[in-house]
Amino acid sequence: MKTKSPIRGQLQLAFGSAVLALLLVGAVSYRSLVESRESDRWVRHSHEVLESLQDLLAAMHTVESNARGYLLTGDESFLDAYRAGIARTEKDQTVVRNLTADNTAQQRRLDALATLAVQKFRLVEKVLGLQRTNGLEAATGAIQQGSGKQLMDDFQKVIGEMQDEELRLLALREADAKRRLAQTKIVLIVGTLLGLLITSVAGWSVQRDNSARAQAEEAMREGEERFRTLANNIPQLAWMADEKGYTFWYNDRWFDYTGTTLEEMAGWGWQKVHDPNHVKRVVEKISRCFQTGEVWDDTFPLRGRDGKYRLFLSRAVPIRDPNGRILRWFGTNTDISESKDSGAKYRGLLEAAPDAMVVVDQSGEIVLLNVQAEKQFGYSRDELLGQKVKNIIPEGFAERLIADGTRSAAEALAQQIGTGIELIARRKDGTEFPIEIMLSPLESAEGTLVTAAIRDISVRRAAEKHLAQMEGRYRGLLEAAPDAMVVVNPAGEIVLLNVQAEKQFGYQRDELVGQKVKNIIPEGFAERLIADGTRSAAEALAQQIGTGIELIGRRKNRSAFPIEIMLSPLESAEGTLVTAAIRDISVRKIAEKHLAQMEGRYRGLLEAAPDAMVVVNQSGAIVLLNVQAEKQFGYSRDELVGQKVKNIIPEGFAERLVSDALRSVEDALAQQIGTGIELNGKRKNGTEFPIEIMLSPLESAEGILVTAAVRDITARKQAEANLLNKVEELNRSNEELGQFAYIASHDLQEPLRMVASYTQLLSRRYKGKLDSDADEFIAFAVDGASRMQRLIQDLLAYSRVGTKGRDMVEVSSEEALQQALINLRGAIEEKGALVTHDSLPSVIADDMQLIQLFQNLVGNAIKYQSSDVPRVHITAVRSGANKWTFSVKDNGLGIDPQYFEKIFGMFQRLHKREEFAGTGIGLAICKKIVERHGGNISVESEPGRGSTFRFALAESQVKG
Amino acid sequence: MPIEVLLVEDSPGDVRLTQEAFRDANPSIHMHVASDGVEAMAFLRREGNHAHAPRPELILLDLNLPKMDGREVLAHIKEDANLKTIPTVILTTSEAEADIVKSYQLQANCYLSKPVQLDAFEALVKSINDFWLTKVKLPQQRQNG
Repeated sequence: MKTKSPIRGQLQLAFGSAVLALLLVGAVSYRSLVESRESDRWVRHSHEVLESLQDLLAAMHTVESNARGYLLTGDESFLDAYRAGIARTEKDQTVVRNLTADNTAQQRRLDALATLAVQKFRLVEKVLGLQRTNGLEAATGAIQQGSGKQLMDDFQKVIGEMQDEELRLLALREADAKRRLAQTKIVLIVGTLLGLLITSVAGWSVQRDNSARAQAEEAMREGEERFRTLANNIPQLAWMADEKGYTFWYNDRWFDYTGTTLEEMAGWGWQKVHDPNHVKRVVEKISRCFQTGEVWDDTFPLRGRDGKYRLFLSRAVPIRDPNGRILRWFGTNTDISESKDSGAKYRGLLEAAPDAMVVVDQSGEIVLLNVQAEKQFGYSRDELLGQKVKNIIPEGFAERLIADGTRSAAEALAQQIGTGIELIARRKDGTEFPIEIMLSPLESAEGTLVTAAIRDISVRRAAEKHLAQMEGRYRGLLEAAPDAMVVVNPAGEIVLLNVQAEKQFGYQRDELVGQKVKNIIPEGFAERLIADGTRSAAEALAQQIGTGIELIGRRKNRSAFPIEIMLSPLESAEGTLVTAAIRDISVRKIAEKHLAQMEGRYRGLLEAAPDAMVVVNQSGAIVLLNVQAEKQFGYSRDELVGQKVKNIIPEGFAERLVSDALRSVEDALAQQIGTGIELNGKRKNGTEFPIEIMLSPLESAEGILVTAAVRDITARKQAEANLLNKVEELNRSNEELGQFAYIASHDLQEPLRMVASYTQLLSRRYKGKLDSDADEFIAFAVDGASRMQRLIQDLLAYSRVGTKGRDMVEVSSEEALQQALINLRGAIEEKGALVTHDSLPSVIADDMQLIQLFQNLVGNAIKYQSSDVPRVHITAVRSGANKWTFSVKDNGLGIDPQYFEKIFGMFQRLHKREEFAGTGIGLAICKKIVERHGGNISVESEPGRGSTFRFALAESQVKG
Repeated sequence: MPIEVLLVEDSPGDVRLTQEAFRDANPSIHMHVASDGVEAMAFLRREGNHAHAPRPELILLDLNLPKMDGREVLAHIKEDANLKTIPTVILTTSEAEADIVKSYQLQANCYLSKPVQLDAFEALVKSINDFWLTKVKLPQQRQNG
């Protein structure tokens, strides 16, 4: 008993105390008893000693008196008595010695007694001896003069002492015994009183308790009575057992059904009406329940009075007192054997089942089946009833019904219950097909039957195969998708997903497959898969297909993020699956929020911009754009926000946002800010077009955003390309022209050489031999020919500047000038010109052309003169970085400023041929040479005050 | 004793002008003319009509010729062990660097471009005569092969 009422505890304590008191009293009494017996013994002992001492004294007297008798009478009989007296003294001495062994004082006295006795006896013997030898007189004399009387007195005295001692001891012992007796009396009286008190208190409390219990028992008995009346009127067989499981009551139904009596059934007698095959299991189970207090449930057959078993469903519950202690067990047995009604119901149920159902007994024979089973196996019901189940399920089923060495049939079956077992079934026509069976036990009067729900899984198998094939095909596709993809079945379970889905939701694939899609998309997705009152699932879905639905996704770590899902149906063996493309629109959402904030500030600005504007965050996602950007790229705003900028600018932009090993994001960006970068844009329709982007940073809550002004430079590029074409064309035509000029002048020279040579020959050989007209005509012909020759040679020279130019090398301009002056030596000497120059630098130039340039300019300076001494001065001054400006200054005729431009043109002359010979090509050649060197030539002059020609050349990079 | 010179030139005007110039320079020069490269080679190898042609002491070769141009003729001459000792002077209107380089690569003895002015031309011819036909020492043996 684990629980104790306080009354019970007190009661126990009270009884305990009473018992303890009585025990104490008993113990004390016992001890007094033992002690008083001991006292008695000692008193008795003292008396014994006293008696023995008395005997000893008496014996001594006997010895003396008999010795006297012999002396007086000589009668030998006195001698005999004398001798017996001696023996008695010795015996008495021994007795006393033994009795007083514990008392040393008495022992000592005893020793003295012994000595006195011996002396006495020796004296008597001596007297007796004298009497025999010397007669009575001698003997009497010896007696009279002897010490016999004295010895006897001493003896008596010692005896007296010993008796006194013993008497003293006796008095002491008696007093002790009396005192003990008084103590014992007190203890007995007090102990008894105490025990009585405790017992009466306890008795009173027990009395009180008992009356309460009696009331409770009365109430219970009444309740039980009512209950029994009730229990007798229920259709079930009912029973009651005490807390130990001892059955003490059955209702009338029980006796009616079993035909037994309470005497037979009481206690554990109910086992008699159980099926011997089941009784062991039933007893085990109910015993366990009785021990643990669990509710008992079982199904088993019970034998009726007709000897037939019927199947009962039994249940027993414990009835407890308020403290939870089990008082009773109440049990019922409900007859669940197949009645006509229940059979019909059961049959209906069986037939209503969507699967083929076959009920099999433990010998493996089919006892029941439904229409679906007939259809599935192609047999009629009658053909199957009574048949071995092996005929339709050759392997794996029958074996499961049969107990083996280690397990009972029930256990064997128990292992299979509820699990789908995949087997092969055989139809009547011999064809086989895959099935899945689910077994469940069915207790019946015939023992445990097995109900097998059999599902044809051919289709599923085919579908699985199909799916496996499909998977192979689609998985690649699925994985290639940029969005997270999740395939969900109509039950809302995830059947397939891709790597992106794993990443996005933070789960492993295995963790998600088979899970409810609600786990990752708590709301709005699963609902869409389900038909409601007005629409079928397919219709419900159809409405959603292709439209982006914005929902909330939930990651494994429970964090939520906004998503957009696009649904599309996927017909499969498992029904219509739904493929959901799930896009994380966090960035877009943030962007939208951000946009809303920024709109007031920037929208106007952004939209007002003539260029497409795109704002991008550091991960390269577009967070903002303007109408121009929509137009330019052909997307609507929503399609672009949240997208990677790579989608519209495939190369060169996103890279610029990313830091590399050498530069931080800011640095990377800083390098790009403000410079127009030419890239390619990509429209929604896939076409590309050239753009120029200008980046600028935009500090925001999300970090540095980058605003890109994107300008479509198709037209500019086109113009540039056109220009380039034009330039190319022009170059080509120029070249052709140059080539033409060269070829023309070269080829013209041949016939002209003939004309010139022969007219000269003519003039030389026939001058003065013909008439004067002929001489004049020949002179014109010769002059024309030579002018034409000069013209052609100058033209050739001019065209050679472009076509026959040499490489630009480092040239000393001073040396070039010297060479030019050498070439001009004739003219200089003829005119008496004074040509001077400053120190001149090294420059990058075509040396031959540089010589030509100086030659032409100095030549002109000398040529166009009126003064007596032509003066020419050449200088060079540094003009800007790496540039030298040369000046050729003369004191010649000067040029009217209106002709400054004209003089550099081809065939342009300011003077009549009669004044100054020339072709008008010299300065054109100069201009062409200077331009070929990347500079330009100019003139500063006033008529009459000389001219200064200036041109610039690049400085040589090599110093020294 | 006449000095045999072969002029290879297709332009009759030039031929005449050259002949005139050489006559003025040195009357003892006997000038033979071939108007194309094929004829020039036939003359030098004494083929056909030229079986009795003399071995020239100087060849004046224009570059632009019909049938076989001057470069080929030059190449043939300089490949021919018998002919290659004859000084061959290129006399042409071309001033192209490529022609000059090519000619010297083919072992022309010198390259002269015809001056435009008659005076200059006459001066040039005079200097050819002075140098090639007067001052230059040539192998004595006359191979008549």
